[in-house]
Amino acid sequence: MRAIVLLAVLAGTAQAGPVGSIAGKVSVTEADGKPAAGAEVIVYVVGFTEPPGSPPGSPGGTEVVSIAQKGRTFVPDLVAITVGEKVGFPNGDPFLHNVFSQSGSRRFDLGSFKKGETKQKEFPSPGVIDVYCNIHPEMAATILVLPNRRHTRTKPDGTFVLEGVPKGTWTVFAYTRRAPKPVSSKVTVLEDGETTINLALQRGAEPEHLNKYGEKYRPSTTTYR
Amino acid sequence: MRTALSWIVAAGVLATPGVASAGRTQYGWLFGTEVMPERGAELQTWIDEENGRDPGNIHWTTWGFTALVGVTDQLELSLPLELLWRDAAAAEPSFTFAQYGIEARYRFVSSDPVDAPPFAPLARLAVKRDVTVRDLVVVEADLVASTTTASGSVHALVDLGFSAGFTPDDQQFELRPGAGVSFKVVSDLRLGAEVFSELDLDSKERSWAAAGPNLAWSHGRFWMSAAFGIGVYHIKTAPRVQWGIAF
Repeated sequence: MRAIVLLAVLAGTAQAGPVGSIAGKVSVTEADGKPAAGAEVIVYVVGFTEPPGSPPGSPGGTEVVSIAQKGRTFVPDLVAITVGEKVGFPNGDPFLHNVFSQSGSRRFDLGSFKKGETKQKEFPSPGVIDVYCNIHPEMAATILVLPNRRHTRTKPDGTFVLEGVPKGTWTVFAYTRRAPKPVSSKVTVLEDGETTINLALQRGAEPEHLNKYGEKYRPSTTTYR
Repeated sequence: MRTALSWIVAAGVLATPGVASAGRTQYGWLFGTEVMPERGAELQTWIDEENGRDPGNIHWTTWGFTALVGVTDQLELSLPLELLWRDAAAAEPSFTFAQYGIEARYRFVSSDPVDAPPFAPLARLAVKRDVTVRDLVVVEADLVASTTTASGSVHALVDLGFSAGFTPDDQQFELRPGAGVSFKVVSDLRLGAEVFSELDLDSKERSWAAAGPNLAWSHGRFWMSAAFGIGVYHIKTAPRVQWGIAF
């Protein structure tokens, strides 16, 4: 699954020119076909590269994106950044967390840090980064490191608008955690035009992962962690 | 009094400290430049031997332990203690609790594979109390620098160590230069070679040097490294093995 997503992220390069926009809606269902409530969905375009940061009024941003640790969960559990940007990991829980990633394109281990502390990491290469906590196996998040700034999070009703997309034919992807792979659609963007697409994702159970030592997590009998 | 301290050394009474270990290393006798992540903890053990060392055909084996903790992502503290078995011509063989102390290691650059430059320097400072010579304090310092290829397949390291033993009336100084190279064989196994020496600034006779192959292997939270030093100066062999398990 990771490889499929990664290929989607890495596809192609091109130069930006006159721009248009892409709008639409992404629906997400669980494996049983029921709508997935509160699913975080990222929509992104590949086929061209842009530097990190963003001009005023465009999607993306120069501020550090945050994935907070709160209530033994990562909030949000899915973020998208542009290559070269940073992600901050503030700990909002009254106990330690140890955020790490063993993803091939960006391995890191933030060590254990306590409430109120924030650690940051820069992501210089595109890819899909799975992030976990070495203390709490239930914690999982994904960072999409994308080649351009044309990515956005869908609204609660699943709608989205991608502004400033260069004129041309591109592939638009939508991804949510626990989906086996992103869904995609080819779109042609016209200068000052808006292209509309609708995408559908289905997600399954959270796949089991190993701790930072490559071991299965030990069952916990404590509640104070 | 300097003479007295020299006699202690010559008689094999002074447990000239082995190289207490901290942080993962690919080498047997040489300190690495890796440190624990913040609040990471690890228990380490090492065994080293100095066989047929001059003067007096001294043999000794050091068995050391340490608990270490990452204070920050670049600074770690360690609490080593060492047991020493020794056999020298001037004394009966003995096995004793030799020394304990505290050690700090500071890596000057990030350990993050993205942020870390290809050249990683590290400083180490240890202060140890000798148990058998009650008024002896040993201070050790190392400047270590390593470099590695982007793929990590080749790793080279230079360790410039210094040791000083102080009593109220005397002192002894020692340089401990060493260097090594390590090659990745498969994902978690490395082989290489290293040279290590202890150069007493007052006595060529007590100085020694060894060179030989090394290996390193890691598996999850466990790692080990070893070197078999073949004596090139005033010693016959100097093997060393160390291992650690992280928590």
